[in-house]
Amino acid sequence: MCLDCFASRVKLTKQRVNRPLGQLEMAALLRGVRAGRALRGLAGVVSAPAARKPQCSGLRRGFHCAALRLQDESKSDKPSSSSSTTYHEHYQAHSAEQDTAAASHGDSASDPAAEEAARPNTSYQDQSGEQNEEYETEEQLQARILNAALEFVPQHGWSMEAIAAGAETLGLSSASTGMFYNGGGDLVLHFIAQCNSQLTDILAEQHKEIQLGQAEAKKTADFLRDAIETRLRMYIPYIETWPQAMSLLLLPHNIPDSLKHLSTLVDDIWYYAGDRSTDVSGSYQPRSPPSSSHTFLSPFHHNPHNIRPASSQMNWYTKRAALTGIFNTTELVMVQDSSPDFQDTWNFLDNRIQDVTNMATTAKQMQSTGETVVQGFMGAAVTLKNLTGMNQRR
Amino acid sequence: MAVSMRQLVRRVIRLSNRNINVTAGGVSGRSGCCWGPSSCRCFSDRNTHFGFETVPEAEKAKRVYKVFENVAQKYDIMNDAMSLGIHRLWKDALLHVMNPQPGARLLDVAGGTGDISFRFLEYVRSQQERQKRRVARTMQTPSWQDISNSYSNEDKDGPQESKAVVCDINKEMLKVGKQKADSTGISAGLSWVVGDAEELPFDDDQFDIYTIAFGIRNVTHIDQALQEALRVLKPGGRFLCLEFSKVTNPVLARLYDTYSFQVIPVLGEVIAGDWKSYQYLVESIRKFPDQEEFKSMIEDAGFYCVQYYNLTGGVVALHSGFKL
Repeated sequence: MCLDCFASRVKLTKQRVNRPLGQLEMAALLRGVRAGRALRGLAGVVSAPAARKPQCSGLRRGFHCAALRLQDESKSDKPSSSSSTTYHEHYQAHSAEQDTAAASHGDSASDPAAEEAARPNTSYQDQSGEQNEEYETEEQLQARILNAALEFVPQHGWSMEAIAAGAETLGLSSASTGMFYNGGGDLVLHFIAQCNSQLTDILAEQHKEIQLGQAEAKKTADFLRDAIETRLRMYIPYIETWPQAMSLLLLPHNIPDSLKHLSTLVDDIWYYAGDRSTDVSGSYQPRSPPSSSHTFLSPFHHNPHNIRPASSQMNWYTKRAALTGIFNTTELVMVQDSSPDFQDTWNFLDNRIQDVTNMATTAKQMQSTGETVVQGFMGAAVTLKNLTGMNQRR
Repeated sequence: MAVSMRQLVRRVIRLSNRNINVTAGGVSGRSGCCWGPSSCRCFSDRNTHFGFETVPEAEKAKRVYKVFENVAQKYDIMNDAMSLGIHRLWKDALLHVMNPQPGARLLDVAGGTGDISFRFLEYVRSQQERQKRRVARTMQTPSWQDISNSYSNEDKDGPQESKAVVCDINKEMLKVGKQKADSTGISAGLSWVVGDAEELPFDDDQFDIYTIAFGIRNVTHIDQALQEALRVLKPGGRFLCLEFSKVTNPVLARLYDTYSFQVIPVLGEVIAGDWKSYQYLVESIRKFPDQEEFKSMIEDAGFYCVQYYNLTGGVVALHSGFKL
């Protein structure tokens, strides 16, 4: 994945290839400092209770019984940040041997198994009973259960009961909810991932239309507003229970995953807005590929030959931090909004985006003023030195 | 001519014995197979372990039956004494991992005195109460429409009832369990069935959850028991097994071994008056496969998402699998 980013970045930024070496080290140092600051800033914006790191290991799997503290060593040790994606990765680690072993067993055992009537032929299972197919559909099955569970969320909230009801509509026993160790958290994270991918599809469609010339390019502020409005409208069917979902996302073991989803969302929106940037040419934005897990880290990490000047590094982080702030605050407003069609929320969103745009232009003006003032001083100093004769070589 | 006749006779006997072995395995212990054991011992090469002894497979089930027949009366007291009461925590952990939803049906195999089933019914009942309380809280100010709806929905609780079926091969253990149930007053939703784990007397796709707590090491053919579990579970059903396993920490392992072999049989003699049964118990724990091996056995039987949790440092392992 890194090589692809590198290749795409090299293609797009031919003009930035030759760089003086001296600035590389400084850029790296600044990058580190800014990364730390930006991360802290983001964490402050997102998590109100300031739970920065999932340090709470006692509630790892949501076991409340004190007796389970006896479980000092658990082979099925899930990382506390288990969500649908990391869960699957961990799952793969655990089941990799299972499936390679079972794959060899599955092929040999498929015929006698069919006779012994031990394996039921469910609808999604191949007639041949190949284990590879089954492995893929395990995750797909979980996704299907969670999708079915979304219907029951208004009734049961974001909880195991909704998942159980969803599983039952698929014809599975309610005991299959045991696969979801995170309970309601799994459901919320799945829903958010789904919303993010829907938004990405919509933005890609719009982007294609613009490229084909069928639609006009929007200004950045308008684009951002529309993107966030579209994204937040996806919550409308669940708005009654959305406070519960937000609180689930803020639980310590869910924070890494919710932050990851949030950062990919913001990154995607800026990616599709990147072409319509109103920035001055001094600040160049890298075209990060959408929805890759490491775009949250500075893009410089994968392309050291493309270091921008220090001022525009701040830009990448500031933009994303600003958009994260806007998104979260608008979400909070939406949850307690009772106006028709959430009109208050969209007005709030407009105002916030306006604020950010104003701040950006003000910052730029201040910067150019500051440069001019500094140049003025330097000129005065040189003149003074000339007058006093200090510049003469003896 | 005589040689060929002798060979023919020998071949016939071998064939018939093989048939008897198969049926004896299937009927294990339910009826003392009359001429099976005597000729099996001569011609059968299928032995299994009974503690540290090696016995023919047909005999193991009978001897296990006798062990539990002897210990049935003092079973619960001995459990408390041997594990210092920690077995209750293990069973509670099983229930927490199971997290049964209201309306689930449980099959508790080798359930004997019914510990798991009682906990299951209590758990489900408290879940239902919690749900009712939650519904009541949100319906603090019901409109007339809501009230009339609730009148029509009053019979909804019927299909929501959860049932637990306790299945054990040993009638004495079931008797003790039934007495316990009667004395504590938990009898609604509970059934007691005599059955063999290798050949369950139930139809396919009947149960949501299948548990076997501290019983699977006594089964002669563990893979058959696992396949039966797969058969009677509904699609999406869960298999849970609580069993003694290998301790991971070497220091703890030494202590545990000393405790098992020196203290437990003595306790057995003092409290229940039966040294040999408890000697069998601790030996059978050593003979049982370890966590990873058992996990792969479960996977081989056809379960998915198989996982295990070590409790008390590996003394007990809780394995879980799904029928998908």
